[in-house]
Amino acid sequence: MRKGGQARGTSSRHTSHVRSTTRRDYQARILRVLTYLQERLDEDVDLPSLARIACFSPFHFHRVFRGMVGESIQEHLRRLRLERAASRLKRGTSPVTRLAFDAGYRTHESFTRAFKALFGLSPAAYRRAKRPPVPRRPTPRPRPLEVEIRRLPPLRVAFTRHVGSYSKVGAAWDRLLPCLGKEGLLGGGSRFIGVCFDDPDVTPPARIRYEACVALDVPFSPAGDIGLRTIPGGEHAVALHVGPYRRLGETYRRLFGEWLPRSGREARDIPSFEVYLNDPNSEAPKDLLTEIHLPLKGRA
Amino acid sequence: MKKIEFKDEYKASKKPALLKLGTLSYLSIDGQGEPGGEAFSDRIGALYGAAYTIKMTRKFGGLQDYAIGKLEAQWWAETPNFADSPKERWRWKLMIRTPAFVKKAELKKAVDVLLKRGRSAAVKDARLETLREGRCVQMLHVGPYERERDTIAIMKAFAESQGLALSGRHHEIYLSDPRRVTPEKLKTILRHPVA
Repeated sequence: MRKGGQARGTSSRHTSHVRSTTRRDYQARILRVLTYLQERLDEDVDLPSLARIACFSPFHFHRVFRGMVGESIQEHLRRLRLERAASRLKRGTSPVTRLAFDAGYRTHESFTRAFKALFGLSPAAYRRAKRPPVPRRPTPRPRPLEVEIRRLPPLRVAFTRHVGSYSKVGAAWDRLLPCLGKEGLLGGGSRFIGVCFDDPDVTPPARIRYEACVALDVPFSPAGDIGLRTIPGGEHAVALHVGPYRRLGETYRRLFGEWLPRSGREARDIPSFEVYLNDPNSEAPKDLLTEIHLPLKGRA
Repeated sequence: MKKIEFKDEYKASKKPALLKLGTLSYLSIDGQGEPGGEAFSDRIGALYGAAYTIKMTRKFGGLQDYAIGKLEAQWWAETPNFADSPKERWRWKLMIRTPAFVKKAELKKAVDVLLKRGRSAAVKDARLETLREGRCVQMLHVGPYERERDTIAIMKAFAESQGLALSGRHHEIYLSDPRRVTPEKLKTILRHPVA
């Protein structure tokens, strides 16, 4: 985080050229997806095939999309369908129920609610309006995210798995920590890590997979639902999130949507992980420090 | 079972204030040497190892849970003027607030586990003890530890304005983690018994 200025030197022109190339490359790949979606507003689209079209790792594709476009794929589709409905309201005479159905809504009421949220007017009022309002846009973002690239050794960890909402991962920690702690494996320097296999913008809460991990510095034979594994080493983009865990998604979006496309780097096809630098039992939520580690592919 | 926490003990004003403390229980370890030196780091590790092992063994056994408190320390020297004494002669007691219901047998068991794991032998010096500091002057110090002298001078003047004098051992509570926070932003509660 305090780097950046170093390691530039003579290669800076080359690096910035590479960076603008990848930025354009990421934009071109996202554009392919946007065009594809625009032409298929009435079809069901699945994430793996969209990731293929954009040549992104399916692991991280949705976060890149969300970060660069400013809305999730579902939100993007919903907005395009509503904008199409708005244009048909103005230009045609189709009844509102018909347009609601075309926009993917089962009832007039749910369509009206969504339409009003986007345009600030009901479909009927929109049709009557002389100068219809423009849809609300995502708000601009604050200062750029600070990201440091770190080369990390492989890390041996003991873990417990959690399936369910991120807000409930505490239960996995409550199983893991007593089992390790009573064996003398925890202390002030322990590293607490969360491996996040799913993007909460994509996976329903009940299916989210998470592993609560503690790095081990001595041999340990696990029992019960505790497992051992190695988190691969290599280069990682590390972003610091300051604040409550429930707002981690915002920092993820900025890491994937702002930093990654400009970085000249590609994400590796393995999950990212979080390192918790302080203790949620003794710190206020606003003071919690979490590092997000995004594994990177080696430079070509 | 509600978890026991010590959060209320970590509130202090940037202005000196008087407070009266009852008997408080701690897990502690004594030592000598400069802050940040080898003995100091070794003993912090040993103290936290004991604290986590005791707490998690209780939790595993379904006993009353509690939050591990912040690191605290008392500082003193054999010479009358602490600040003029060479750092390698500084004496300290590192402490972590621990509920009084934690028994000596639990500490002993934790020490055995940690020694068997090959952890620092310093853990053998960890103790459960109580402090009764009584009337104290207390103040929040923000900034590097090296600048505590200024804050202590304010506390001393305040005590004197109340007709009191600093007595006993200087005590501090580390609210910030020096590995994560820049020296200018370090928050430390300074406490000193008065009489």
